[in-house]
Amino acid sequence: MTYELLATPWGILAVGVAGLLALGFGALILWTSVYKHVICWRYLFGGWKAVVPLISALPAALGVFLLILVFAIMDGFAHETREMTRGTLADVIVDSHMEGLPYYDDFIRQVERIKGVETATPIIQTYAVARVKPHREMYPGVGLMVKPIVRPCQIIGIRAAEKVEMGRFKDYLLRQHSDRYPTDRLLDLPPEFRKTDPPHATCIAGIGLIGIPRAEEVFKPVKQGAGMQVLAFTVAGICLIALLFIWRVARRRLEGRSLSLGRGIVWGLTLWLVLLAAGAAADLLLTRFAAGGWGRTLVTYVFIAPAALAAIVALACTLAGPVYGIARWGTLKQKERPGWLVATAAGGLVVLVLGGAGMFWPVAEVEVQSKDVVDFPLLDYGDDLVVSTIPVTPKGAFETEIGGVPKVSSRALALVDTFKSKFWEADSTQVYVDFKVAQQMAGMEAQPATDDRPAVPARCSQVQIKIADPTQGRLIRDRIREAWRTFASEHRDIGILNLAFNTWEDQQKMILTVVEVEKNITALMLGLMFLGFGVLTALISYVMAYIKSRDVGILKALGARDAGVGSLFLGYGFIIGLIGTAIGLVAALLMLHYLDAIEIWVNQTLHIDVFPREMYYFESIPQHLSPLWCVCVCLGVLALSTLASTAGGLLAALKQPVETLRYE
Amino acid sequence: MSEIILEARDLAKDYWMGPSRLRVLQGVSLSVPRSEFLCILGPSGSGKSTLLHLLGLLDRPSVGRVIFEGEDAFAQPKRWRDRLRNQAIGFVFQFYYLMPDLTVLENTLLPAMIRTPLIRWPLARRAHRQRAVQVLEDLGMGHRLQHLPRELSGGERQRVAMARALVHEPRVLFADEPTGNLDSVTGGEIMRVLQGLNRKQGLTVVMVTHDERVAAQAHRVLHLADGRLLHDA
Repeated sequence: MTYELLATPWGILAVGVAGLLALGFGALILWTSVYKHVICWRYLFGGWKAVVPLISALPAALGVFLLILVFAIMDGFAHETREMTRGTLADVIVDSHMEGLPYYDDFIRQVERIKGVETATPIIQTYAVARVKPHREMYPGVGLMVKPIVRPCQIIGIRAAEKVEMGRFKDYLLRQHSDRYPTDRLLDLPPEFRKTDPPHATCIAGIGLIGIPRAEEVFKPVKQGAGMQVLAFTVAGICLIALLFIWRVARRRLEGRSLSLGRGIVWGLTLWLVLLAAGAAADLLLTRFAAGGWGRTLVTYVFIAPAALAAIVALACTLAGPVYGIARWGTLKQKERPGWLVATAAGGLVVLVLGGAGMFWPVAEVEVQSKDVVDFPLLDYGDDLVVSTIPVTPKGAFETEIGGVPKVSSRALALVDTFKSKFWEADSTQVYVDFKVAQQMAGMEAQPATDDRPAVPARCSQVQIKIADPTQGRLIRDRIREAWRTFASEHRDIGILNLAFNTWEDQQKMILTVVEVEKNITALMLGLMFLGFGVLTALISYVMAYIKSRDVGILKALGARDAGVGSLFLGYGFIIGLIGTAIGLVAALLMLHYLDAIEIWVNQTLHIDVFPREMYYFESIPQHLSPLWCVCVCLGVLALSTLASTAGGLLAALKQPVETLRYE
Repeated sequence: MSEIILEARDLAKDYWMGPSRLRVLQGVSLSVPRSEFLCILGPSGSGKSTLLHLLGLLDRPSVGRVIFEGEDAFAQPKRWRDRLRNQAIGFVFQFYYLMPDLTVLENTLLPAMIRTPLIRWPLARRAHRQRAVQVLEDLGMGHRLQHLPRELSGGERQRVAMARALVHEPRVLFADEPTGNLDSVTGGEIMRVLQGLNRKQGLTVVMVTHDERVAAQAHRVLHLADGRLLHDA
């Protein structure tokens, strides 16, 4: 979708404008005075004051993180839903509902001549009731008490070879999805499944229709070691931040007063050992507690105990003491500080080792036993599924027996395959049968003329059409509509038919709209969070400009321009936004990358089922990351933080230097 | 007769205290020849700092004109005055006014950093740094380049402030009570530096003070009382 958008003229124009803006912004940065960069940097990262912008960047980070993460997951749901619904349909559908479309083969030939249409097929679709008599042997633990299950369903009559061309129908078949099964024989019953002679007509039924969901222990492939990767990256990040602080403080205080080399090392190591011991003990207790007892075997494939994490974080943080101590080692003159170099190298090494561990930690696919919801089929292949429907006459009335009783058309259909698209609506209702069988059941077959009525041509419910370029669906749909008008004018006996010409998206509008609306509401609600961040940034910027008003006076006395000093505070807000955006973006991308591993970890460690399979019917949490959305969110936060900091910028720009320099 | 570098004509400055007007300077006219060491002497509240701020183009007069090197400064755009303060004027204040987050070297480099864009800094940095280090060494601060102002004594801070005022080789140096916050020994050292710059380099110095002993070291002393100049000493 993103790439399609980028390929349009507007997309190219937008990318061009964005590129020019980026170049302009880069040029602006390069042509601004050096003092703004230096002072802004010092305000942000001067010693422990860096805590202030980091804290104020957290709401932005949280907002970016949530917006990208939640949107990617919701977009994943929407994307999966679209794919599932699309896979069961075709690109364009001409629907005549239950009245029936006559002369469909002629119409299809006409449609196939339209530019952009690849192929088309007729479909019969009618409502019915399915009766499933479960195999006693196949339903362990229930025995003789099993009663037949009766469910509403949809009979869909297809020409198998043509239907396969339409969407992803064959991919959804549980038995015949591979290429070794010829597409024109999907509804043929293999001899090994034959239970009656002659064999019954056949069907392919949705797994949800002939099965029941059951929670079972299943073997699932998981990535062993993914949790350790997450841990290593996390700790490397924490170490990096901790070491940057220490590096800074040690540099500032090379000639300082308080901590000596020996005391720094002793204090740091002692604190580290105490925290590590406490963390290890807590780890042991918590792990056992989480496992449910002392004798239980622990599941360790992605298990990261919270206490272990805390202990390693403590290690990262308490590196401060030794590194600080080492940094002070050596002569204290400006250009001679070997300890300083050693500390920097040691700190860098720790980060590199942990980062390397994260990158190269072996990740292997292993199978683990896990609880999952599976559809347990109540019929075996070759078993009968009894489907009953009431045929509808060409005039739209139910066919009746003598005495006005509705005529029920009932067929026992041998099951040749099961169907699972993951689209519950389809999987729990649809029964695919041969086109002619369905046509007979629905009363849509050709009827010869009798004394009291003329001959009736055979009819179908739908014509499904595959087109060459799926993005041109609406254009082709309109061409097909025009073709129908011409066709109907040539066949006067058709009369006026209430046909619906839809693309697959129009056809599934309700469900797709619901998902889209949910996605947009969530994005809007999370977006409101940014208002809080904007207010916070504005306040921090204003307070900063107020506190630093003497600096403002000094800069102006030395010739800095009003706008220049004001823009210093804009840059301050921009960098806060940039920090927040970077943290949020990296965290969201990492979270998305390790989503399944984290979900399993949360499930195993905290016993919280964040993604119940029986509710969502997906094997894993769906995700679809849009680069365009990421860019929009990041640019939005940067723009907001810069805009919000105009509060401080204006205060600084309007401040008269003598106001601040006159009084001390 | 020496060339006049700075001239004030009938300067007045009003401050508004709510609805009432407070005139702190009235009818001040003076001329400063190039290379002169001028001192403006007056008691606290006489308007000395206000006059210095007007002469140094930090503030706009309510009435009158300031002529800098023949140009009416307040008839020029603000950008022109900003550039003049950055390139031709140096300030030394009683309370030093160093940027607390910058090191000694960075504080001294500040005027250069204000006028140099980031893109030119890599090429210009070395020359600016050499000049700043030279000035700091001349003022005896070469060993404190990487220190923050809070790690320095009062006298050292004032030397750094002087280095910052001198690094861009200004044509006029304005000093607002430069010794007012220092002990007599350190104050004497600062005055000797100012005198040396005036004598050896011909730097024009305009200083305000309330201390007659300090004022006595100038070429010319102007007395200011209640916002009016009294006479030349």
